[in-house]
Amino acid sequence: MERVQLNARQLLVLAILFEHGSAMVIPLGIDARQDVWIAILCSMIFGAGLFFIYYRLFTYYPSLPLTSYSQQIVGTFFGKTIALLYILYFLYIAARVLRDFGELLLTFAYPETPLFILNAVMMMTVMYAAHKGIEVLARTGELFFFSLCLTGIVGLALVIIAGLIDVHRLQPILEEGWKRVFKVVFTQTLYVPFGEMIVFAMLFPYIDQPKKTKIVGWLAMFLSGINLASMMAINIAVLGSETVSRSTFPLLNTIREIRVANFLERLDVLFMIALVIGGFFKISIFFYAGVIGTADLFRVKEHQRLVYPLGISVLLLSIAIASNFSEHIKEGLNIVTLYMHIPLQVGIPLLLLLFAIIRHRSSFLFRKQEKK
Amino acid sequence: MLIHVILLSGCWSKKELTELAFVIGVGVDKKGGKYMITLQVVNPGNVAGATQKGGGSSGLPVTLYTSTGNTLVEASRKVSEKISRLTYYAHTNLIVIGEELAREGIKEVFDAIERNPQFRTTASVIIARQCTAKELLSVLTPIDKIPTNQMIKTLELTEKVWGENLNVHAGEVIEILSLGGKEVVMSSFRIAGNKMIGEQQNNLQSIEPYTFLHAGELAVFQKGKLISWMSGEQARGVLWLLNKIHQTAVTIDWQRTKEAISYKVVRSKTKVTAKINNGKPIISVMISMEGDIGEVLVPMDLTDPNNISLLEKKLQQEIQKEVQNTILYAQSKKSDIFGFGEVVHRLYPNEWKQLKKNWNDQYFSRLQVKVNVHAFIRRTGLRNKPYF
Repeated sequence: MERVQLNARQLLVLAILFEHGSAMVIPLGIDARQDVWIAILCSMIFGAGLFFIYYRLFTYYPSLPLTSYSQQIVGTFFGKTIALLYILYFLYIAARVLRDFGELLLTFAYPETPLFILNAVMMMTVMYAAHKGIEVLARTGELFFFSLCLTGIVGLALVIIAGLIDVHRLQPILEEGWKRVFKVVFTQTLYVPFGEMIVFAMLFPYIDQPKKTKIVGWLAMFLSGINLASMMAINIAVLGSETVSRSTFPLLNTIREIRVANFLERLDVLFMIALVIGGFFKISIFFYAGVIGTADLFRVKEHQRLVYPLGISVLLLSIAIASNFSEHIKEGLNIVTLYMHIPLQVGIPLLLLLFAIIRHRSSFLFRKQEKK
Repeated sequence: MLIHVILLSGCWSKKELTELAFVIGVGVDKKGGKYMITLQVVNPGNVAGATQKGGGSSGLPVTLYTSTGNTLVEASRKVSEKISRLTYYAHTNLIVIGEELAREGIKEVFDAIERNPQFRTTASVIIARQCTAKELLSVLTPIDKIPTNQMIKTLELTEKVWGENLNVHAGEVIEILSLGGKEVVMSSFRIAGNKMIGEQQNNLQSIEPYTFLHAGELAVFQKGKLISWMSGEQARGVLWLLNKIHQTAVTIDWQRTKEAISYKVVRSKTKVTAKINNGKPIISVMISMEGDIGEVLVPMDLTDPNNISLLEKKLQQEIQKEVQNTILYAQSKKSDIFGFGEVVHRLYPNEWKQLKKNWNDQYFSRLQVKVNVHAFIRRTGLRNKPYF
């Protein structure tokens, strides 16, 4: 464990950047077609429920990360197994996001550059950040948060000024009824990006005002949810749900449609900024959680010593996990959701909470009896 | 740190400006079952030189390259056999499709354009009327030296002030092709004059160019295939129904004189809604516009508000007739270029599932469309009564 402290504002900024991360650039939950914004808002509400589970666990063990309190709740053996699973999960997701990031850059900006080089450059920055620790990352976040906000506001203003938005494209609302929306909620958007907040269970012990954690977490999810939903709604209002569902990066296409006064056009760079900032924070947070988890589990005193071996593993993993982009996306939607997101974001935390409640109840009763 | 310095300072696939050929317009034709593409490449030295020397430039502003291939990508790569620089498509503003290819179908043409990150889907699309795309791109133009820019600017201007032509972006075409309840309609350009002279510099040596480019009829598509043309008032009706009219001029009769008064539209707005009655869709169109009197050819008193309201009524009838003619023509061709199907889809998603199978043939061609026009005459210009 590092001896650093994060304040509530830093946590908020980190969580918002994390939620936006890659969700902003991919066609998030587009299977719900023009109702995708409803799906994202629904997932936000259910996601807040998931976050409450993580928060409750944290209130029982306010000074420990997920990898430690799992051992306290279900015993050393099972606890360590769970901790190991989580570490692998965090590192694997870090590799996945890194791959996403590399593929996106490669497809539209650097078609001739090898994937490995792009990923390696990004991973080096991430490793550097992880080496410096969470406090540095959080302060960087505060800085970049404003540039991302500014980019977002400029982009939105230009889309509106260029007169690209046609609200009719969002109609008919609920064409296939609620079934399609909830299918998307429970198979996709709930887990990415909202359920991924589980990674913050590793960062909670660093917060200097534990009482504010719940409010800050919910606020971050609320703001990101609304922003992501309106972003997808704008994408559809500009491009139409048919085009959005066929695009690899709808946000890029929306930005490319902008033409204001014959000279404000081709603003792809706005998209690049958003992509790089979002990608960096998402990978960094997952990677950092993986690193301190490992340090905690194997009792390594200085987590810095783990940064390089784990970083290189993540880099190699990001190249090895899929042979092409379609395979990568398909794995993400089918396999990762079913076998990783659902058990690790919902199943295990719920079980842990259950055991924790029982344990505390019984020890509470036990103490009461002792007093008598 | 050292590794960073080495990695971050280099450029992986850098291309200097002098290594690139900027493609400003692309023409697509079909020849013997293969695609033939024509690239209009900017000749940077001559474009800049022309403005400084004031007219009499030494070389041509653009150069044309053609190549054939089974796919567009293949053809565009094969151009490298003829050109010394790498073709660069980020500044391509115009896509010309030959009439023959348009009749065969344009559905497949746009995939390469949409997929390539260099290409912008904001490029305009036009059809080459009565000629191939190559012939259209090989005419030199005055004023705007680059023919592609000349065409785009002409198209944008005429859409704005006259309203019989439609500037359609590639992105819009792709969107319409993927929808079930709308058909593609776009403008065409044709060559007026001798094609051979148009290719040469001395085309511009005459005060009236021997050969020039001319925005032409609207091309009407059905399922991605060119089936018909619309021109004049019919074409303007299409723009009215698509809510694309900015300004235009309408002439109306007054008492016994035909075509006596000119009305200048300043702004106009069209709303289309749908209703379903006994399983049959009914479309209602609401057009409202504002404008001034531009010209009066008969003696009349425009200070009298009664005359103005009479004129407004005439105007409404005139436009209603124009728009209804357009609808009837499109219905006879069974092509829903106005997107009425999409309006029904948006408002009645459940009923649309039944309707969409035979929309063009069964429903659109017999669709009941109510057209309401509200025209307002706000001002009469600098004079009230004419001098005669």
